Amino acid sequence: MTHAYTKVRQALCYGSATLGAAALAALIAAGSAAAAESHGVATAKAAAADLAAGKADDPVVLKAAPINARRVFVYDPKHFAAISQFYMIDGDTARVVGTADGGFLSNPVVASDGSFFGQASTVYERIARGKRTDYVELLDPQTNNPIADIELPNSPRFLVGTYPWMTALTPNNKTLLFYQFSPQPAVGVVDLAGKKFDRMIEVPDCYHIFPSSNDTFFMHCRDGSLLKVGIGADGKSQTKRTEIFHKENEYLINHPAYSPKSGRLVWPTYTGKIFQIDLSSQDAKFLPAIEAFTDAEKKEGWAPGGWQQVAYHRESDRIFLLGDQRAASKHKAPSRFLFVIDAKTGKRINKIELKHEIDSVGVSQDAKPQLYALSTGDKALYIFDPETGKEVSSVNQLGAGPQVVMTSDM
Amino acid sequence: MRALAFAAALAAFSATAALAAGALEAVQEAPAGSTEVKIAKMKFQTPEVRIKAGSAVTWTNTEALPHNVHFKSGPGVEKDVEGPMLRSNQTYSVKFNAPGTYDYICTPHPFMKGKVVVE
Ligand SMILES: [Cu+2]
Repeated sequence: MTHAYTKVRQALCYGSATLGAAALAALIAAGSAAAAESHGVATAKAAAADLAAGKADDPVVLKAAPINARRVFVYDPKHFAAISQFYMIDGDTARVVGTADGGFLSNPVVASDGSFFGQASTVYERIARGKRTDYVELLDPQTNNPIADIELPNSPRFLVGTYPWMTALTPNNKTLLFYQFSPQPAVGVVDLAGKKFDRMIEVPDCYHIFPSSNDTFFMHCRDGSLLKVGIGADGKSQTKRTEIFHKENEYLINHPAYSPKSGRLVWPTYTGKIFQIDLSSQDAKFLPAIEAFTDAEKKEGWAPGGWQQVAYHRESDRIFLLGDQRAASKHKAPSRFLFVIDAKTGKRINKIELKHEIDSVGVSQDAKPQLYALSTGDKALYIFDPETGKEVSSVNQLGAGPQVVMTSDM
Repeated sequence: MRALAFAAALAAFSATAALAAGALEAVQEAPAGSTEVKIAKMKFQTPEVRIKAGSAVTWTNTEALPHNVHFKSGPGVEKDVEGPMLRSNQTYSVKFNAPGTYDYICTPHPFMKGKVVVE
């Protein structure tokens, strides 16, 4: 507490912008909405008390607490800007506890054991032009100092609006897999333990990466099947296609929810039909599809919409889907409602009016989860209790166009 | 899409100049008897063609969706040969000067694949 105050006062006194992420975080928190304001008041009181007691100021660089289930990573691609940003938020206090810089359209990752977070990213030697370098960077989540910087040869990253499952960690957090679109579909294998790029695996025309074990991942293919890929030793990868599980006119969104710990893949369509696939046995088991909306609701224009439109809570086996009344082809517009669905029965448990235009949802994976509702337009994260449907707190000023919410399933 | 097509056209011009004497040579006029490959329904309709060294292949896009022909650099191909985006009924011809197998894709649709085997 005194340290946080110290950094704020130091930053204010000297007007310095070079004091690091912690000072910035404290400032952001101090200038923030409801929950953060009370922190600002508390900090001011503590500072006044220190001053009255004649306590000397002792500036230090702060460390964030270790990652827990309620650490929220918000990634802001800044509407395709060459430089992007990460915000680390403590969901319990609704405070920004750190920030990190990213390059062009980073793909963020968070280790399931809390040991690191990081990104596959892209920089250019003259801001947005010149020689391109793709790399994977891992950061210590307490200091935000880099612990690995691994270059990816031949600029293989797929530059696309951030889809979380275009870059993924294996369950043991030792391998990072990233997608290449052009000149041909492939998945890059990065050995995080050995801190080196390993190889590219050529794949058919399939997209997204869902690791189901440390050497197996699944993809979704153009023909409507899934592809199982065994990474294999010595570059000997094997692939096997599943049956075709959806029709050609059923459009699956770019932001499915996937729980690596339970192997559950939750994949809504434009109309709110939700495909669920259980990958836990290392073979795809297709569960009965769910309809999020009744036929009457569909007639009234109810459909999913936003960026990360769906979240899945593993322990309670619940699906959280953003929905609203919308015209056709407005599937990327934000939603004002959240539908809580029992994944097993498909029954609707709750319909929460969010009272904000929400683009992305995330959920903490603890027993009594928090729901994270991110508004790209408001540049704010609203934190809800999904049981009561009440907004508990919020964090504003999250960059220019924050779109991605990530948590760690610890 | 227009910007993309323009960029592709530029790339094709520079590739043509650089590769005038290479294994692959983009040509304005295909010589008589060159092999035809039609593009339709997101596919190269004859995904594999066999030709003799010194002859050419002409691709014709038959649908509204633009496609191109893109040879990536690799064994036998010194530098990328990225053809311009073809609109409906537009054509693009490449003369093959050296034997070998030349794989190609469509730049924005990398799942569209074809092969020219030059004997
Ligand atoms: Cu094409």
